[in-house]
Amino acid sequence: MKRRSIILSTVIAFGFFAVILRLADIMLLNHQWFLLKAKGQQIKREAIPVKRGVILDRRGRELAINLDTESIYCDPSEIATPDRVASALSNAMNKKPDIILAKLVSKNRFNWIERKVSIEDTQKIKDLRLKGIGFAPDIKRFYPKGSLASHLIGFVGIDNNGLEGVERKFDKYLSARAEKISVLRDARGNSLSEGLSREIKGNNVILTIDEGLQYILEKNLDDAVLHWKAASATAIMMDPYTGEVLAMASRPTFDLNSPADVTAARRRNRAVTDCYEPGSTFKIVVGTAALEEGVVDPDTRLDCSAGYIEVGGKKVKDAHRLGVLTFKEVIQKSSNVGTIKVGLRLGKERIYRYIKKFGFGEKTGFDLPGEVSGWIRSPERWSGTSIGAISIGQEVAVTPLQVLRAYAAIANGGFLVKPHVVSEIRSPAGDVVYKAVSEPDRIFSEKTTNTFRKILKTVTEEGGTATGAAVDGNQVAGKTGTAQLIDPRTKRYSKDKFVSSFVGFVPADEPRIAMIVVIHEPKGSIYGGVVAGPVFKKIASDSLSYLSVPRDDFEEKRLLLVSTRDVK
Amino acid sequence: MKQSYDKWLLLIVLLLILIGLTAVYSSTSVISPDIVEKYRRKGVELSQFGFIKKQLFTVLLGIIAMFIAYKSPLEFLKKMSIPLLVASLVCLILVFTRLGITAGGARRWIRVWPSTFQPSELVKLCMVLFLARYMSMPGYKVDRFLSFAVPVGVMGVFQVVFLKQPDFGAVMSLALLTMSMLFLSGIRVRYLFSLGILGLPVIIKLLSEPYRWKRVVAFLDPWKDAQGSGFQLIQSFIALGSGGLTGVGLGEGKQKLSFLPEVHTDFIFSLIGEELGFIGVVCVALIFFMLFLKGILIARKAMDQFHYYLAFGISMMIAIQAIINFSVVTGMVPTKGLPLPFISYGGSSLIVNMTAVGLLLNVSGAQGRMVKSACGLHINRSEPAGKEPLPAAHGSARTAQCSKWTRGYGYSRYKRRSSGNNKPFGYRG
Repeated sequence: MKRRSIILSTVIAFGFFAVILRLADIMLLNHQWFLLKAKGQQIKREAIPVKRGVILDRRGRELAINLDTESIYCDPSEIATPDRVASALSNAMNKKPDIILAKLVSKNRFNWIERKVSIEDTQKIKDLRLKGIGFAPDIKRFYPKGSLASHLIGFVGIDNNGLEGVERKFDKYLSARAEKISVLRDARGNSLSEGLSREIKGNNVILTIDEGLQYILEKNLDDAVLHWKAASATAIMMDPYTGEVLAMASRPTFDLNSPADVTAARRRNRAVTDCYEPGSTFKIVVGTAALEEGVVDPDTRLDCSAGYIEVGGKKVKDAHRLGVLTFKEVIQKSSNVGTIKVGLRLGKERIYRYIKKFGFGEKTGFDLPGEVSGWIRSPERWSGTSIGAISIGQEVAVTPLQVLRAYAAIANGGFLVKPHVVSEIRSPAGDVVYKAVSEPDRIFSEKTTNTFRKILKTVTEEGGTATGAAVDGNQVAGKTGTAQLIDPRTKRYSKDKFVSSFVGFVPADEPRIAMIVVIHEPKGSIYGGVVAGPVFKKIASDSLSYLSVPRDDFEEKRLLLVSTRDVK
Repeated sequence: MKQSYDKWLLLIVLLLILIGLTAVYSSTSVISPDIVEKYRRKGVELSQFGFIKKQLFTVLLGIIAMFIAYKSPLEFLKKMSIPLLVASLVCLILVFTRLGITAGGARRWIRVWPSTFQPSELVKLCMVLFLARYMSMPGYKVDRFLSFAVPVGVMGVFQVVFLKQPDFGAVMSLALLTMSMLFLSGIRVRYLFSLGILGLPVIIKLLSEPYRWKRVVAFLDPWKDAQGSGFQLIQSFIALGSGGLTGVGLGEGKQKLSFLPEVHTDFIFSLIGEELGFIGVVCVALIFFMLFLKGILIARKAMDQFHYYLAFGISMMIAIQAIINFSVVTGMVPTKGLPLPFISYGGSSLIVNMTAVGLLLNVSGAQGRMVKSACGLHINRSEPAGKEPLPAAHGSARTAQCSKWTRGYGYSRYKRRSSGNNKPFGYRG
């Protein structure tokens, strides 16, 4: 019996020994092989969510942000009853079942059913527990302000690639390349790494736009388009010294969150993509050139009493007969005859040189896609009538931005600025990776600009063409423009289609904003001073109070108050 | 000098329980944040302490059970062995009533509020008690076929129930346990061989149930069906294999992240292998072997046959379970649901095995009492009549020890024991 107990103990001992041998085989001899197997199943490569940089206004307000969403896909090979799944999905998603069904029976093993659905909505579908339906995290670009600054900001495609505006032009800064990292997973594919919160972010773009000014500008532009039943309209507000665009809008417009629903025409940023014949606002070229060249001085008298002038066998008329005017009054009252007379004194070579000096016919270098250069003929190709037409802003094609820049040069004392809308780009960490540089070239002497500024001030004064553009408390310097549109059918100037514009800056002596308002095809009135002037006035007065710009008469009033008290 | 029970045995068991608690905590505390979030949405707050709290409570119950087993008079238990065996059979049959719980295609548990209980664990201990009692009866003759047939018949009854559940792990361990105890008693070896015939129905049953057969085949070549029947074993291999010599570090194991099914119960040994490496698992295996050695040493010192068989049987019961579990996780025998004593998560196994250790301590304590009586101090305890003293030649050593004993200590010790409670062994275990 003792022998038996020894045998049994030996057998048990042998059992333990065998186990240890087996363990040594698995754990020591085959360690590397199993380690490889373990790594293979415990680690997965996971794409880090890539977040596009956000777009901010100059005060850091978000104009384009990212939303965490989920995309729904299906694997048709795993779906047993496509009809039932389709109807269940269509109930949950509010989408037509036949569209879903087509995807469920497709031959591909991977089909998107719906991209970028909010997490709350996908949860409903997840609760259905449908086999063969999968969910992938996706990031959706969202524009919290809807249509505000839509032409500037632009939008992205389904894969968050920039398609228009800043989103397109600065795509390489905003987007970030997707990366994959190794994360620990459990057998069900759940991630275990804390590193999930890690994400790759694109650079943030900070615009020169001020959301408040943009809103003021857009609201008033909307009102004007509605009031004048205009076909289209554009307005740009710019810092005249730096070329920073403070606000820019075009009408018609669209909602950035559903760009695909509208025609391409609505998505066009007309401020830079469309040319127009500027009309009288172009008289700045002849006006400043004549002053700079010393051809005239503000008090040079010009006889406009005929009411018309013949250039190259073609009569050019004034809107009203004006009599003998000083050069100052020619600009103030926007006399075509007087301007052409000055233009003739300058000659076409000099006019052309000054056109080029203002940068007409060339791209301004504005940092948005789609800018056009406009169109100016070189003097050797001018016809006999050209010198007259060009002097008063016909036979040229310019963009609103080019015109605004020309007036900004008067506002800032003779410098041609480079308009831009992106002020800087910062990395997610906050480092500046791009900064707009503004190195304006002097194109005029200060004397000329000061003189011309004084003349422009008279435009909004009594006797000028744009008394409606005068802002209460701050003096506006500017110029109206009324140009006929060419009728595409007759190839002649249309009788009833006009472009009314007003361009100027305010306060005239210490300009804070330079602005252009262009209204295409207003109904009811055509004159820039009547149609565009008041829009300018409304935007300017709201903007000046938004910017807390003191009234021009504020200083005088205070002095007056002080002096009256002294008298007492 | 306190010599009432074997302190080393107690220390070994406590060490195993500590290892078990650590392993259970490691295997159940890591939950994917995704899953936590999923449950939070459903309003369930998952805690990393959920399992370990329950297991700690079980350990507490186990300690109480162990203490009761230690304090119970062995004579009483001996008398009660047959009723206890019947009671365990009743428990086992309860599995098929409304109280039973079906999981994974098997009815192995009964509902005991607020938890569950696996009667097969209790059956093993009761079987050891019964066999110890039966083999120490005067009528037990090693060369009488009836003496062999009765325990085998009793075992057969249980085996039928186990097969019905089905619980092949229990079949295997109970058969091994019964056979080895009969072998120990000195039964004719040819009787044991004849038992092989009884194995035939088992094989027939295996062949008749394809899922079971697949699992049997799976262990031979798990890679053939790596995603199906071989999955668990492969995952166990990966766990052990990636552990290497020193392991990936305590708590650092990855296979517990739903890769290895039942990692906190039947496959906890693989987790220890992954986290503590070859050194760790060999240590655990050696501790079990020490427990076994300690057990048979106690058996050899036992003062009568019942004690001897009981101690040896319990030692083997634990050792067999451990070896089967080790063999399962290392792919040496087919996969079956058998927990690792003291270490696996789960109440039934832990409480029953701690009760068993309590009995072992009781036996070792009885030696101390016997020594006292051998010294002629207080011969009060009625020795079972007709039992030949064990053929152990420790007498001289005991007398030598005896002289060292102080009278007063021995007396008070005895007083305490004799006035000690006679709690019946009725704990569910």
